[in-house]
Amino acid sequence: MPHVVANGVRHHVQRLGPSVGPPVVLLHGLLVGNLAGWYFTVAPVLARTRPVLLYDLRGHGLSERPAAGYDVATLAADLAALVADEPGPLTLVGHSYGALVALRYALQIPERVARLALIEAPLPPSSAGDLEAFARRTPAAMVEALPEPVRAVLGGRRRKHKLLETLGALVGETSLLEDLRREADVPDEVLARVACPTLCVYGDASACAPVGDRLARVLPDARLVRLPGGHYLHLDAPDAVAAALEDFSG
Amino acid sequence: MTPTQEKHLAVVRALLAEVMGEDAGDLAIDLDTSFNADLELESIEFVVLSEALQARYGDAVDFVGWISKKELDEIIALTVGDLVDFLGAACPT
Repeated sequence: MPHVVANGVRHHVQRLGPSVGPPVVLLHGLLVGNLAGWYFTVAPVLARTRPVLLYDLRGHGLSERPAAGYDVATLAADLAALVADEPGPLTLVGHSYGALVALRYALQIPERVARLALIEAPLPPSSAGDLEAFARRTPAAMVEALPEPVRAVLGGRRRKHKLLETLGALVGETSLLEDLRREADVPDEVLARVACPTLCVYGDASACAPVGDRLARVLPDARLVRLPGGHYLHLDAPDAVAAALEDFSG
Repeated sequence: MTPTQEKHLAVVRALLAEVMGEDAGDLAIDLDTSFNADLELESIEFVVLSEALQARYGDAVDFVGWISKKELDEIIALTVGDLVDFLGAACPT
């Protein structure tokens, strides 16, 4: 499988669709996320008409799992290194913490970003999925606490065991939870500097839903879309998310 | 089983052995083996299988497109035989 070393970390990267042109880059969320969440849902729809680039964030999926560097700034540096040779301007699509990474990149290198889609971005970052309650659980209890669309595909012993291994390693052997706790909110005056059109997609049953209203109010060029579903919106409503992204990407 | 099915089943077995590592060794993989209930393939392993199929069959096979058109319950019920028949339709010879 294709791996690329970016920012000193070996990343698992996949491409779908045409090989020429500026790509849509898809970023997944933390802990239970990896690029497979996009690969069989939203990515193939977008790939009919444009190049799509997907990768596993450090520590996730088939990427290398370093002990540190799970803060948004470092993950945005990973992204910058991964797309350094891609033709621009890029369309960035992020789910949850991945959306915050895309947002950070768009603020740092605005000239490289044509459009930004934030799906279920949690602000402040540590509000994601009631982090403190989640972090106090053992990995086994974390699995039990996962929301329905994630549990539905979990199945029996083998997959549960593998997810437990991943969660146990991320929680026990890396700085991920500590980095997430320390991640500060993005102030309104910083959000107001986002230069590109921004699509904000939130589930009507998600705890993050009020963040959508804030982003729609503060971002200079924002469109808010509410879809039926929870935080894992691209699993709850893959067709609707894909349609919203297609419409937004032109 | 037709010769076409046999041929593609052999390919799928070999690719699953690569994707799942030692876990595939304990399992008798046949047409009625379910990816979900029997093999318990992880979604990221499905991605690797997809890539391996692409490398093996080239553009004749659009596994990602095929899977992405299915509803979640169809994906959950997917068997090795479904994949073998899909490959047989795409590459009959």
